[in-house]
Amino acid sequence: MVTNLEPVSRSWVLLVYRLPREPSAPRIALWRKLRRLGVAQLADGLVALPLDARNKEQLEWLADQVIENGGEASIWLADPSSSIDERSIAAKLAAEIAAEYRGIVGEASAAATLDAPAQRRAVSRLRRELIRIRQRDLFPPSERDRAFAAVEELAHRAEALT
Amino acid sequence: MKWATRSGCHVDRVACAWLIRTFIDPDAAFVFVGDPAEVPADATPFDMRGAELSHHGADCTFETMLRRYELDDPVLWDVGRIVHEADLADETFDAPEARGLDVLMRGLSMVRGDEDILALTGPLFDGLYEYRSRALMLGRDPS
Repeated sequence: MVTNLEPVSRSWVLLVYRLPREPSAPRIALWRKLRRLGVAQLADGLVALPLDARNKEQLEWLADQVIENGGEASIWLADPSSSIDERSIAAKLAAEIAAEYRGIVGEASAAATLDAPAQRRAVSRLRRELIRIRQRDLFPPSERDRAFAAVEELAHRAEALT
Repeated sequence: MKWATRSGCHVDRVACAWLIRTFIDPDAAFVFVGDPAEVPADATPFDMRGAELSHHGADCTFETMLRRYELDDPVLWDVGRIVHEADLADETFDAPEARGLDVLMRGLSMVRGDEDILALTGPLFDGLYEYRSRALMLGRDPS
């Protein structure tokens, strides 16, 4: 898999958290939000995002939410001491996202055999899905362009059938 | 009254400042700080960690303010739906306007300072409020 992983070497924002096992609803809500942000899970209760104002702010809100729910949380800024560590984290994140983009390519080609209205519905759904994936796509893999191209190709195909 | 928030305003803070000036405190003065510790003693902080007027549970700060000041105007809650999605994009609401609003606010914060942003976005949120108010009245998007 080809990814644009270098040169990474940048700062990260870390959320360290501990949330009671029960009730489980806040844990699940937190997990969903972390997933939506595309965090790297470094250890149990430790997640990281590349540092920018938005990522830092989003993790800060989650830290407050953990505290509101009776847990403990703090936010740290960190630099990896070796670029090897950082590359392996970035590669792992990119690999997960790449799999999701491949899923989109698969769905787009499966939809190519449908009739025109069903193709158009698939196009809107896949476009929304791409927006969601892109929101947490921090190290864009080459699969990204392919996924976007596949959905646009499906859109053209639906257009041609109409 | 004096109000304080973090510098580098994005959509939630911008919308809150508009809400404060328009519905809560017409004489509001705003200060922008880098860290919660820099909030002046006589200022009410909002959209900052640890502040009462901040994110709570699933709410963004704009929604927290609507609750705190008991603003039950349905148009404001409708604007709040858009602000929530522009800020958090967690798909709690169906708000297709949110992505556009998010991009415009991000772009604006690249070329203007906080004071300017508040001045420029006042009329924009007045317009958004008016548009959503007519939409709710008509039951469809106004032309």
